Amino acid sequence: MKALEVYKLLPKTNCKECGFPTCLAFAMKLAAGGAGPERCPYLDEETKALLGGATRPPVRAATVGVGARSFTVGEEIVMFRHEKTFYHRPGIMVCADDTSPLEEVRRNAEEVRDLVVHRVGQDLTLDGIALRCESGDPDRFAAASMVVGECGDLPRLLITADPGAHAAALKVCGQFLPLIHAATAENHEEMAGLAKRYGCPLVVRAETPEELADLAARCTAAGVRAILLDPAPRTVGDFVARASHLREHAVKRASPDLGYPLYLDTTTLGTDAALAAGILRYAGVIAVPPLPRPSLLAALTLRQNIYTDPQKPIQVTPGIYPVNNPGRDAPVLLSVNFSLTYFTLLGYLEAGKIPCYLFVVDTAGLSVLTAVAGGKLDEDLVKKSIESTGLAGTVDHRTLIIPGYAAPLSGRIEDATGWNVRVGPRDAAEIAEFLEKGE
Amino acid sequence: MTERITEVAVGATRTEGGTRTRSYRVGGASALPGMGDAGARPLIALEICDDPALWPVVVLEEVGDLAGDLSGWAKAAEERWGADLVRLVLTSTRRRGFDDPASSGKAVGEVLAATGLPLIVEGSIDPALDTGVFRRCGEAGEGERLLLGTAEAERYRSVAAAALAYGHAVLAQTPIDINLAKQLNILLRETGVPHDRIVIDPYTGALGYGFEYSYSVMERVRTAALAGDADLAMPVISAAQDSLTVREVREAPEGERVETAVQWEFYAAFSAAVAGAGIVCVRHPGTVGMLREAIADLWGGEGWR
Repeated sequence: MKALEVYKLLPKTNCKECGFPTCLAFAMKLAAGGAGPERCPYLDEETKALLGGATRPPVRAATVGVGARSFTVGEEIVMFRHEKTFYHRPGIMVCADDTSPLEEVRRNAEEVRDLVVHRVGQDLTLDGIALRCESGDPDRFAAASMVVGECGDLPRLLITADPGAHAAALKVCGQFLPLIHAATAENHEEMAGLAKRYGCPLVVRAETPEELADLAARCTAAGVRAILLDPAPRTVGDFVARASHLREHAVKRASPDLGYPLYLDTTTLGTDAALAAGILRYAGVIAVPPLPRPSLLAALTLRQNIYTDPQKPIQVTPGIYPVNNPGRDAPVLLSVNFSLTYFTLLGYLEAGKIPCYLFVVDTAGLSVLTAVAGGKLDEDLVKKSIESTGLAGTVDHRTLIIPGYAAPLSGRIEDATGWNVRVGPRDAAEIAEFLEKGE
Repeated sequence: MTERITEVAVGATRTEGGTRTRSYRVGGASALPGMGDAGARPLIALEICDDPALWPVVVLEEVGDLAGDLSGWAKAAEERWGADLVRLVLTSTRRRGFDDPASSGKAVGEVLAATGLPLIVEGSIDPALDTGVFRRCGEAGEGERLLLGTAEAERYRSVAAAALAYGHAVLAQTPIDINLAKQLNILLRETGVPHDRIVIDPYTGALGYGFEYSYSVMERVRTAALAGDADLAMPVISAAQDSLTVREVREAPEGERVETAVQWEFYAAFSAAVAGAGIVCVRHPGTVGMLREAIADLWGGEGWR
């Protein structure tokens, strides 16, 4: 609902009791999902319900786990990331069976806990352990979930259709708010009861949107606070089609009982394709078997890419970065603080083993091409950056190598800074050859 | 979304005036995958080259002697690895001092003779060479309905002329920008290249190296076309050509390098397929089979529509 439509439903008295200066200001906040209608004491119940339904995020939130490693999914508002952004990256949870020796379960959990991939200045990690009850034995399931708990506050996902096994496991780890999989047509009353008692998020699983909506409505009515939908796909194509259907209905607010984050288990679907599909198309929690490192690396990188805000490029801190132990006569390469540019350039410089300084100026995360075109990279910025970083005290020479796409600025930079300017290549891949050739 | 992506013919069989054992019509979708009728499944092209000095080491190690044997490499692409298309990259034209356009035509002829698959040809990238190289390539493939590339905003006339003279389609590449893609298509149309002879290459950055920009531009190009923009309604081709030289692959431990290379190509190419690309290109033979299975699976879905 748009702010003006919301405004029409408000009292228009500007009484300020809601905490906002005018009814219109309140309407704008409501429409953006930043406040609830209950803050206005003069709305009747019907209007409150109408506004509540129309202004909450189309995909509701769900949080899995407690503590530093807990994660939240949902709260998405668009079909395509270019329309705004995707907010909460999907949690990737690695499966372990309770029939495995407990030592193995522990080792798996520790590996998942400790895996960190450093990429473009960010740490990429996995999100938790998915414990599957294969033993059919509630005590065994509970024991395995204890072992996972001993490995730190890693979020847990408990997978079994047997409410008895869940009851046993929740008794030992319910306070850590694991995600429960799954409530179905057969067991939803007991599952919803458990989820409510422990305050845990609950996955509901069914083959059709009607059944999913029905289960979600029943579980919510039973007091479950956070819900995920598992559309029970048999192929990757099923998942992509069903997830797209669900996201579309949620975004259009066509059916409120489908406005929940989605759950995907890749185990039987062909892992890498399903994992990629889940990242691209709307999964909130993805359960995966233990993956070889190359798969993990690619999947975490794809997730980082897709969940980067298109309006906020990842940035590095401006400054002087020594590469390959440069001396006072080493060349100085001007570049921008768009993270991708920085790390690409750094990769080629390190591979070329050429000592130099990367002199990174603040273009608010714009690439060289866009910064030059948009006037964000100019001689004033270069001059100020030379002064603020003390570049003249770092090297004995006075020559700047600028990126090929900044060539039009070369004369003006020389005039403004008094430094000599050499124009480098446009493509970072050619930098090593350029530097080797020298003057 | 009721519009359809224009169908572009790639390859010509004997009845169509060529010698290919199969031909394709790329395009035809009226929705993105999973959102309606996504048309025929995307095609997988394996890239090979005529001068392996400029090719990723991880591929050269895999193909061994085939790297110096264009016929054998092209044949293996079809028979051993199961590619749908061969994409011949004329890397020889990128050497300093290259002055033998006839050799480019010869390379095209050699690949056409070795395989029955339709062919994508990636020619020179230097305006000084383009006229000669594209003419020879176009000529060598006359009647075979090649996909000839690459046209760019600054240098499209030679490719367009060769495509028009010898009956080929054109690859139109722009740097990750929907408006530039549209402009180039209009320029090509004004040169006389009809819409059903253009494939859009919006440029694909490698996974982790700008791939998100490419992914979103592909989605934008597709959704704009399906919403009625005829100047963007051509099929999209995606080739994350830097995948195999990224740091993650270069610095992978010895025992994991091949697997990392394959996954780096796979995740980008599969994502491009999800974003609506009609042709996806890879260089490592190991990626082809994995991609084929994944795309079949993606196309084997039951939605609720």
